[in-house]
Amino acid sequence: MPVLVKDQQIVADTWQLIETIPDYVPANAIVPIHQLTNTNANGAWVDGDIEVDDFGDRLAGLDLVAVHFPMFADGRGLSLGTLLRNRFGFKGELRAIGEVQPDLTPFMRRCGFDAFVLENELAANTAIQCMASMSDFYQGSVIQPEPAYRRKQGG
Amino acid sequence: MYQYDKFDHKFLKERVAQYRDQTDRFLAGEIPDDVFQQLRLRNGLYIQRLAPMLRIAVPYGTLNATQLRKLASISRDYDKGYGHLSTRQNMQLNWPELAEVPDILAELADVSMHAIQTSGSCVRNVTTDQFAGVAADEQIDARPYAEMLRQWSTYHPEFEWLPRKFKIALNGADSDRAAIAVHDIGIQLRVDESGHTTFDVYVGGGLGRTPAIGALIRENLPEKHLLTYVEAILRVYNRYGRRDNKYKARIKILVKAMSPEVFGEKVDAEWELIKGNPQELTQDEIERIVGCFDPPDYPAVPDASSTLASQRLEDPTFNQWIQQNVAEHKQPNYTIVTLSTKATGIPPGDVTDVQMDAVADWSETFGFGEIRISHEQNFVLPDVPQHQLFELYQLARAEGLASANQGLLTDVICCPGGDYCSLANAKSIPVAEEILQRFDDYDYLHDLGPLDLNISGCMNACGHHHVGHIGILGVDKRGDEFYQISLGGNATNSASLGKIIGPSFSRSEVVGVIERLLDVYVDYRAEGETFLSCYRRVGMDPFKDRVYIQESESQTYARAG
Repeated sequence: MPVLVKDQQIVADTWQLIETIPDYVPANAIVPIHQLTNTNANGAWVDGDIEVDDFGDRLAGLDLVAVHFPMFADGRGLSLGTLLRNRFGFKGELRAIGEVQPDLTPFMRRCGFDAFVLENELAANTAIQCMASMSDFYQGSVIQPEPAYRRKQGG
Repeated sequence: MYQYDKFDHKFLKERVAQYRDQTDRFLAGEIPDDVFQQLRLRNGLYIQRLAPMLRIAVPYGTLNATQLRKLASISRDYDKGYGHLSTRQNMQLNWPELAEVPDILAELADVSMHAIQTSGSCVRNVTTDQFAGVAADEQIDARPYAEMLRQWSTYHPEFEWLPRKFKIALNGADSDRAAIAVHDIGIQLRVDESGHTTFDVYVGGGLGRTPAIGALIRENLPEKHLLTYVEAILRVYNRYGRRDNKYKARIKILVKAMSPEVFGEKVDAEWELIKGNPQELTQDEIERIVGCFDPPDYPAVPDASSTLASQRLEDPTFNQWIQQNVAEHKQPNYTIVTLSTKATGIPPGDVTDVQMDAVADWSETFGFGEIRISHEQNFVLPDVPQHQLFELYQLARAEGLASANQGLLTDVICCPGGDYCSLANAKSIPVAEEILQRFDDYDYLHDLGPLDLNISGCMNACGHHHVGHIGILGVDKRGDEFYQISLGGNATNSASLGKIIGPSFSRSEVVGVIERLLDVYVDYRAEGETFLSCYRRVGMDPFKDRVYIQESESQTYARAG
C-alpha cells in the first residue's frame, strides 16, 4: 500500500488523488491540471513535462501540486519542481507521485518537493534514511539557495 | 592543484557511505537490477562482458604522486595489477568485484579521489588540455574553471537525471588540445582587451551514432556567469531533450532539431531569469579556486641545450623521443614530457601498477609531484627540467614508457572494444596491436608526420574514430567483425568529422588498407603538407581508388587462384 512521507516522516494522507472527475469534487482533491477549472479542488497533479510557463501561475495558487514521475531516472520533474518554487513562488505542498524511488528523494527534496508517495512502508523508511544520508552539498538548491562556499565565507 | 578542504572530505565520505548502503541494499535484494544499474553508474561502475568495470575520475586529467600510488595499489589489491587510461582522462579498472567497490571508493576518498559521475546520464568528468598551466601557447589555465564546474555539477539536485550523458570540455590555449568542438558543451577561454577572462560557449558537439560539431551560442561570457549560463543550458536540455530514444537523447539532437539559433535564444531567455542568482560566482571564490592552481615556484635550472644537443647526436632514439614527446614549457629550461603508453604488445592506454609507481616517483624526481593523463591515453609529466631529460628518458625506456610516437600514427586512440566491453560490435585492441606491429619504423612514422588514428569498437565512439585523421570503426556484419574506415576527421582547431571511404573491411585487410592510404598520402603530398591537409586538398577519390581498385584486383586474383 502506498505510504506518504512528508517532511521526513510517514504521515496519514488527507488528500484524495482523482484521475477522472466525478460529480462532486471535495476541496482536498488532487485533480488533473486540465480539469482544475471546473472544480473547487485545491490540489492538482501534473506530468513532469508540462510547459510550466503555461500553468505555473495557476499552480502557484493551489495548496498542493503533485508531480507525476513516469519512470525512475526521468529528471524533468526536478526542473519542474525547481521552477514552481523559484520562479512561480509556489508555497504549498509539492508532492512526488508515480515512480518515486527512495534513492531519488534526496534530489527531489532539494528541488523543492516536501512530500513523497512511496510504494510501501519499507520504501518510505528507506526514503527517509536516504534524505538524511548527505549533510551538505556544493551547489545551491531550492531549499538551500546559497552554494557551500558562500556560507563558509559568511561564517 | 586543487586541495580538498574539510567540506570536500566530508562530502566524499558521506557519498561513499551512501553508495555502500546502496550496494548492501542491492545485494540484500531490496533494489531491483534496473534501479541499481542507474545508481552504480553514477559511481562509475559498469557491468562488462567479463567483469564489472570501475571508472575512476581524474578531474581534468590532473593528479598527484600520492594519488597515482594509490591507483597502483588499488589495481594491485583489487584488480589484476593494471589499469586503463581512458579518453576522458580517467582511469578504468577492468576486474574489480562488485561487492568490493565500496572499499575501493573508501580508499580513493583517503586521497581525495572518487568515481562520482564517471558514467550515467549526468554531467561527466570535466576535461581540459593535458598541458594546462604549463603550455607555452596558453592564454589562461582552464583547470580552475573546470574545478568550479566539477564542484557545481557534483550531485546537482536538478541535473543528475538528464536524458543522456553530458560532457563538458574547456580549452585555454591557442591550440585546442581538449577537443571542445565535439563536446556537449565546449568552452574556449580568452583574455579580453581589458585583461578579463571570458568564455566562448559551443554547444551540441559530440561523437557517437550521430557525430556533430558544436555551434557557438555565446561569445565573451564574463567569468562570473560561467555556472549560471551552464545552468541555463542544462535546464533547457533537461526539460526538452528527448527521452523516448536513447540514440536521440543527446543535446546535439535537440540543438539540431531547434537549430542552434533558436536553442541559443531559449538558453538566453532562461539565463536572463537566473543570472544574478546565488550560483553566480563571487570574485573571492574565483580567486580562491584560481589560487589553488598558482604555478609552483620554479627554481632556476641550468640551460642544458648544448649538453642536450650532444646527447641527441649520440643517441638517435633519444633524439626521436625529444622530437616527438617533449613540448615547450612556459618556463625557461623546463619541458613537458609525454610518456607514451603505446608500445608494441600492450593495449593502448594500459598501464601496470609498477609503471604507475614509477611515474609517481618520476613526477617527484623530475617535477613537483604532479602528473597529467591526456585524452590520447598517455601520461604527461608537466615540469621536467631540460637537464634531466636524458635521465628520465632512460628510466622511462626501462619501464616501456618511452615510445617516441606522441601525435604520430602509432599514438593510436583506442577504446577497450570487444575484448572487454559489452557494447562493442568488434574488437579494437587487436587492430591497434597489428598497426603498432606493422608500423614500427620511427623514420617512416616521423616522415608521415602528425597523424591521428582512432579506433572504436562500436558507434558509441569511445575511441573517437570520427575525429581521427584516419578513423576505424568496428561494425557487425551478420555476426562477423568488420571495420569501416573514414578519413579527414580532426578534433583540434578547425575540427571536422571524418567521411567514410566505402564498404568495410575484414580484420585481416585493415592493416593493408592503412598502408595503401599512407602510400597515397606520400605520393600526393606537397612539401611540408600533413596527412590531414593533403586529404583536404586532394579529396577522397585518390584514396578510394587505391584502396578499392587494389582490393578488387586482389580479390580477382584470389578467385582465379
